[in-house]
Amino acid sequence: MTTSLPRPAHGISGSPATADERAYAARAVHARKVYGVGDTAVVALDDLSLDIPSRQFTAIMGPSGSGKSTLMHCLAGLDVLTSGTVLIRDTDLATLSDRERTILRRDRLGFVFQSFNLLPTLTARENITLPADLAGRRPDPEWFSTVVERLDIADRLAHRPSELSGGQQQRVAVARALINRPELVFADEPTGALDTKAGTELLTFLRAVVDQLGQTVVMVTHDPGAAAYADRVVFLVDGAIVETLDQPPRDAVLEVMGRLGG
Amino acid sequence: MLRLSLRNLLVNKLRLLLTLSAVTVGVSFVSGTYVLSDTMVKAFDELFTGLTSGTDVVVRAEAAYDADITTTGGQLRPLDEQVVDDVRRVPGVAGAEGTVAGFALIVGPDGEPIQPKGAPTFGTNLHADRALSGAGRIREGRLPAGPDDLVVDATTAEKAGFRLGDRVDVIFEQGRRTFTLVGTVGFGDNDSILGATLAGFDLHTAQLVLGKPGQVDEVDVRAEPGVGAAELRSRIAEVLPAGTEAVTGEQAADEGVEQTREALGIFTTVLLVFAGVALLVGSFVIWNTFNVLVAQRRRTVALMRAVGATRRQVLGGVLVEAALVGLVAGLLGLVVGVGLAAAIRSLLTLVDVELPTTSPAVEPRTVVVALAVGLGVTIVAALLPAWVAARVSPMEALRETPAPTRGSGRVRHTAGWAVLAVGTALLAWCAVQGNQRWWTVVATGTTFLGLVFVGPMLARGLSRLTDRGRPGSPWRMASGNVRRGSRRAAATALALTIGLAVVVAVAVTAASLKDSVTEAVEGGNRSDLILEPAGLGPGISSSVADVLRERDDVGAVVEMREWGAQVDGDGVLVTGVDTVGLDRVIDLGVESGSLTALRPGRILVGSTDAERLGVGPGDELTVTFTETGPQRFEVAGTFDKGSLVNATYVITLPDYDANVTSRLDAAILMTSAPGVDPDEAKAAIERAVRDYPNVTVSTPEDVTRDARASVDQLLGIVTALLLLAVVVAVLGIVNTLALSVLERTRELGLLRAIGATPPQVRALVRRESVLMAVLGAGTGVALGVGAGVALARALEAEGITTVTLPALTLVGYVVVAVLVGVLAAVGPARRAGRVDPLVSLAGAE
Repeated sequence: MTTSLPRPAHGISGSPATADERAYAARAVHARKVYGVGDTAVVALDDLSLDIPSRQFTAIMGPSGSGKSTLMHCLAGLDVLTSGTVLIRDTDLATLSDRERTILRRDRLGFVFQSFNLLPTLTARENITLPADLAGRRPDPEWFSTVVERLDIADRLAHRPSELSGGQQQRVAVARALINRPELVFADEPTGALDTKAGTELLTFLRAVVDQLGQTVVMVTHDPGAAAYADRVVFLVDGAIVETLDQPPRDAVLEVMGRLGG
Repeated sequence: MLRLSLRNLLVNKLRLLLTLSAVTVGVSFVSGTYVLSDTMVKAFDELFTGLTSGTDVVVRAEAAYDADITTTGGQLRPLDEQVVDDVRRVPGVAGAEGTVAGFALIVGPDGEPIQPKGAPTFGTNLHADRALSGAGRIREGRLPAGPDDLVVDATTAEKAGFRLGDRVDVIFEQGRRTFTLVGTVGFGDNDSILGATLAGFDLHTAQLVLGKPGQVDEVDVRAEPGVGAAELRSRIAEVLPAGTEAVTGEQAADEGVEQTREALGIFTTVLLVFAGVALLVGSFVIWNTFNVLVAQRRRTVALMRAVGATRRQVLGGVLVEAALVGLVAGLLGLVVGVGLAAAIRSLLTLVDVELPTTSPAVEPRTVVVALAVGLGVTIVAALLPAWVAARVSPMEALRETPAPTRGSGRVRHTAGWAVLAVGTALLAWCAVQGNQRWWTVVATGTTFLGLVFVGPMLARGLSRLTDRGRPGSPWRMASGNVRRGSRRAAATALALTIGLAVVVAVAVTAASLKDSVTEAVEGGNRSDLILEPAGLGPGISSSVADVLRERDDVGAVVEMREWGAQVDGDGVLVTGVDTVGLDRVIDLGVESGSLTALRPGRILVGSTDAERLGVGPGDELTVTFTETGPQRFEVAGTFDKGSLVNATYVITLPDYDANVTSRLDAAILMTSAPGVDPDEAKAAIERAVRDYPNVTVSTPEDVTRDARASVDQLLGIVTALLLLAVVVAVLGIVNTLALSVLERTRELGLLRAIGATPPQVRALVRRESVLMAVLGAGTGVALGVGAGVALARALEAEGITTVTLPALTLVGYVVVAVLVGVLAAVGPARRAGRVDPLVSLAGAE
């Protein structure tokens, strides 16, 4: 899986970004996260600062235990920092209650998980509209059909997850993440449970989501091939950013990973 | 394996507690029942032994059969007092005294009778021979020595506030008399005999006031030193006339205890039935819990199989786990049961039912039964899940996704619906046919079995019904979950089904009984006033009827007496009535023969019994009385409206008096003379029987109202006992929900991660709970109505002549069931709401 993904050609957004487009979808400022206390304390994020630009595909890489998952959890408001600040656009997550964070996740963020995490009792359509349904909103029909067509699952909508292939399930999960037109989509090892072909397809879709639908995607992965689809790759070691590559070719990613011991 | 089983149990303490309590409730009911009745028997034993401790031999009339003490009061044919002198002359007899006993109701200083609840009010003579009175001792004053002297038990003296020298009134079978209190008596540590009131006299006075002049009920004999009781008994037996027997004091005490045990037997059986219902419900909860556990552990089990555990080891592991649960539940149940028995005793004391003081009796039998029931129920319930676990393939450990759960097969569908159809048809047939007691039980069981089979389908059907509204709304998601786990949902609901079905069946039967009573009074009664004993009194003095007959404003007066006897080997109640005026106070609904044919030597028989015995007018019927043995009667006719006066075998008063010593009337039915204002009649009669404060004068409307009220009271007690089973069922719902929340932690975490608020997650769990509760309530009420109607019809012979559905009550039960569903979900829902969204992001466990 780590070897065969070809370096994709960049889409229409290869042109220089305008000032507006360079606006940040999310920022971490002096983020610090410590698990446990005293001797057993583990520093997962160590005074880390990072900007996630809008309408770009950012990959976070690093060896196991580098803090990449913690970083994503904290950016996504699933976990809270020990100190420091996370901003989703202008919203400081630290100022939000659990309920407010939940609603922020629902309305402004989208998630794609490694193990699909679809609800087995719901059809594909119902799974996709779940975040909108939870919010008590009618999903925008135009946006809905754009998304399902782009992801090529329009003819699978009446099926339950158990009747879909892994790749289809993951695409349903991506559609679910996009349904509320989130400011930011987080993907946690989205290709981890897929075979090579389905993985390539999914990454191509994610790329298209950024290029053609103008979404912002943050992906955590330890697969250099997957990271090569990103506009920008951030390398983490021991809770700190050690390197950032823009428009990286796959070999460059591999080289950095090899250097970092991933 | 044992260590693994233990670990598995301790993993989730809450689950363990819930599972345990499902069995513990039933077991504690069983052991509590045993401890309570054993304790009472032990207390009676101690008391009887104490009372007869100075008596070596007892002489008494032979009983024709061992009668139920509750219908005959233990009365034997009185002996001629000459026998006392005969016994005294037997060599080896140190002393012998005759005893009489009978009804004597002491009137308190406020004019109200001192009527204990559930204990007799008896009058007797006190022995002059101290040794013969056993544990009985004069506490204050002296023994009665003249026609004016009275001694009462210490409890009564204290309760009424009597002092020595007070004038005290006593009501007897044949009138009321005033005495002077000369002493109080106690019995060892007890101030009274099981709460009974005692009025003591000298022998001659006792014989007169108790209506047994020149007679004694028994002779108590004391042996000379060196003469054994058994030896003396055989010596005495030689001089006794025919029909008289001598038994040792010890034997007499044992018989007394045995009679108590038998009388308690019914009570014990009834309580054990309730315990059985609770256990049945509990076994469903256990079954379901183990099903879920096995389902959750499939991968672990597969892994164990892959590394070399045999099927037998897997099976054994689950069963050992069940056995541990059963054992602990049995022990806990035993402890709780002992406490329960103590609590019931204090409760009874609170409502004035006096029990003798003794330590609680925990017989080895109780311990064995408690543990056996706990173990048995749990292991049997876990058998099927254990078998399923043993069949898990080792391959499942290697697979990424769990194998899809097997849906219920076509065979199960068809068989299920077929069984359900047969059960329902049987129930309908029972309801139409009437008097099909055993078939009703079979039909109810069959219908329930059918429900067990089709339960998952019903669950899916219900979830389809509720699968409405916006997609992703809690209702739709809950429906989806119920559909996915339809077997589990059905099994959970079935526990509630049993509990509710029994409660509803009882409610339907009770409602039918109430309306039948009303109908019986309205349809069969022709009297204007009915006189009955107040409270739990055994009867009213026959002198009351004499008072009525002397009045101008009274028309017909019919006395009714009832006593236990045997017909065809079965214990029955025989009713003695005045034939004159009988047709003016009641319509017995004579079907064949005629009322006027009822004369001495003849008997009227209720139609159902006549049919069973195969007798009709002109045939001969033998009734066996305890005192006089078999007596032949000619059947004068059959009737079918006896339920008003609870009569099945009706004979004339002269025949009754010839075979039964008691002269107490169970009731007096009377009509007013023509032209008497009905409103004034009641007040006038009440004034006329002022001397008998134990008599209640009622209009037919009063009787109906009181009867309905007492049915309600009984229904209340029965429902309360059955609610225990419902509580167990609710524990089952809590258990299932808690387990499935645990199982779906990742799923719930995902919901939280993509933006479901904790209230939304809680609502989802709550809806699932409500769906299961509704399924249980729906099937429970439906089954209960079916069974209740069939049951009411089955009891037609017992006087249930009409069937009523208490619609409001039924609706109430469904509403309560839904609330219970909401309530059961509180804990699991809170847990679900607290699920950390991060768990959904963790890799596959």
